[in-house]
Amino acid sequence: MHLLLVGVSHRTAPVELRERVDFQARGLQGALRALAERGSAHEAVVVSTCNRAELYVACEDTEPTRQDLVRFLSDYNDLPPSDVAPHVYDVADLDAARHLFRVAAGLDSLVVGEPQILGQVKEAHTVATEVRTAGPVLNRLFHASFAVGKRVRTETGLGSGAVSVSYAAVALARKIFGDLSGRNVVVIGAGEMGKLTAIHMKSQDVRHITIVSRTMAHAARTAEAIGGASAAPWTDLDAVLAASDIIITATGAANPILTKAHIEAVMRPRRNRPLFIIDIAMPRDVEAAAGEIEEVFLYNIDDLQATVRENLARRASEVSRAEHIVNEEVDKFGAWFRSRGAIPTVVALRERFEAIRRAELERLDFKLSTLPPEARARVDEITHLIIEKLLLTPTEQLKSLTDAETVSTYTEALTRLFALYEDERRKVEPFSRDRKGGGRQPR
Amino acid sequence: MNAVPLALYAAALVAYVWHFAQRNVVVGRTATTLLVAATLAHTFVIGMLTMRAGQVPIAGATPAISTFVWLLALSYLYTEMTTDERAMGVFILPLLVALQTIPALRPSIDDRAAVLQGPLFGVHVSSLLFAYASFALACVIGITYVLLFKEIKAKHLGFFYARLPSLQVLDRMNQRAIVIGWVFLTIGLLVGAIWAAQMQVGYGAADPRVQKMSLQDPKIFVAVVCWFIYSFELFAARRIGWGGRRAAYLSAVGFAIVLLNFVPISYFFTSSHNF
Repeated sequence: MHLLLVGVSHRTAPVELRERVDFQARGLQGALRALAERGSAHEAVVVSTCNRAELYVACEDTEPTRQDLVRFLSDYNDLPPSDVAPHVYDVADLDAARHLFRVAAGLDSLVVGEPQILGQVKEAHTVATEVRTAGPVLNRLFHASFAVGKRVRTETGLGSGAVSVSYAAVALARKIFGDLSGRNVVVIGAGEMGKLTAIHMKSQDVRHITIVSRTMAHAARTAEAIGGASAAPWTDLDAVLAASDIIITATGAANPILTKAHIEAVMRPRRNRPLFIIDIAMPRDVEAAAGEIEEVFLYNIDDLQATVRENLARRASEVSRAEHIVNEEVDKFGAWFRSRGAIPTVVALRERFEAIRRAELERLDFKLSTLPPEARARVDEITHLIIEKLLLTPTEQLKSLTDAETVSTYTEALTRLFALYEDERRKVEPFSRDRKGGGRQPR
Repeated sequence: MNAVPLALYAAALVAYVWHFAQRNVVVGRTATTLLVAATLAHTFVIGMLTMRAGQVPIAGATPAISTFVWLLALSYLYTEMTTDERAMGVFILPLLVALQTIPALRPSIDDRAAVLQGPLFGVHVSSLLFAYASFALACVIGITYVLLFKEIKAKHLGFFYARLPSLQVLDRMNQRAIVIGWVFLTIGLLVGAIWAAQMQVGYGAADPRVQKMSLQDPKIFVAVVCWFIYSFELFAARRIGWGGRRAAYLSAVGFAIVLLNFVPISYFFTSSHNF
């Protein structure tokens, strides 16, 4: 049994092609059934996101399956094969496992460390379980990949730190106020930027959002568009500011609308409760000196972008630790995967022993026929137990082998010693770690 | 005998520092396990001393420090387990190791002066030790608050930003520790005053140390100063908006004085508390 991965991703294919190689659009279940009908693979899971479409299968022969899967990528999506084939990569066995582990860890993502991919991989596996295209090999592989994703998230900083400006703002607010559910937010300016940020804050379950604008009608319209927000006239600005914990300014004003003196006046009735000001306007709405006031945290768009850059740099520095975890898990999975190479021999050995037992019982049938039925049942039981006992240790030994060469030596010896496969003339094909699918490899 | 817990505390310190730097889950669990082991060993040591002497070893500066370390370790473990925050350990453990070194190096004296018998004395010392443990926690939480505050204010979101809980949580933890500490400090001082008043006219009238128990003694004076500092902190946080960073600074100042009272004053200056 081999593992094989065939797919396209943001690393090999332009967005125009990725859009068209899409298994989500018509449902993963349909894609999995269509793949199963082709019969080239025993097990299959399809991972399809906007950045990748990957087919993970377990199969007997890699080369014909690989060709069939490449065809499937174009057939299923009604694309000419010549458009798809140059962008397809394929990897086999432990390299396929490593690839999936890296994907689940977020190492292969466009934004390294993004958290959604692990959920998408889990979803892909769930669907495959539902339509029963995932079997023992892929189940084990995918569960291992979830473990990798979880370990990388908890043991490294790969996914830490916001990597977009709006998330950076929310992350900061959380670091200052903890839970945002009891906090009041005021948005100054009724433009598109202010509205988007307000919607983002609303998704954090803040207590209340107030929109203030020079034109009351604009404020009211924006408040309505957000839903659950209220509008306040410009004259009420000071009162609203005093009652707020987070101020977002996004007006088109040419000069600062909030000066240091203004904020100082607001801080007095607040009794030094912290105030978080996010100035996303360009030019800036808040005087930079306001940030000098104790308990005032002033961030403008450049500051937020700088933290995003720092976070990206920090994620990059965590990559090697994440790769280390991936390697560890590949080794673990590899040990299990290689031990599967001995399974056909184990089965054949058992069949051989059982056949001998049955043959002997049949041969002695005329002698045993004189015995009462209970005694005959006892004979059957005892012979069965003897075989079980004899096979127990060799079976355990074979299953614990993790080295491909040893597996091959053992199976060879057993095949000869016990004349396994004599009737079927089938050759044992132990797993070899050197076997790989041809074709392109992803970076 | 106090050396075994000391070694375990030191091992836990190494693990906490390592965890703080690397944020490895396994190392973090190891750190907590080591600290639990240290505290258990310490419990055993205190239990043994109690059995040998027939009373809890809290009389005299050296056994009191050991008991204080034990209480602080317990309080910290409680905080860690209820908040699921390990970052503070890196600040608490150095204090535990430093203080535990004193009882580990000085052999403890078991015989307790005859005047130091009775329930009031026990309540006095144990309340104060517990209060000081709470103030130590408040101080450490305050320090981390200031470190995180400075990072956010300076717009350089780095080391502490990634490792500490939010300012709000730190502030609340600090306030809670101060309230608990203040309650026990008040009880400890009141009970101490009552005990001293009883002793000065009664059983301890002949003991010169008992006669010196007044506000003029540095140890008592500094303890009362601490009470005023922490009372002010509680009042200020609630009435004049001295929460957050100012409360954090006050916690640090308060505990610095507590520590001063606890070690140098106990050993070198007091004339009433040198049992």
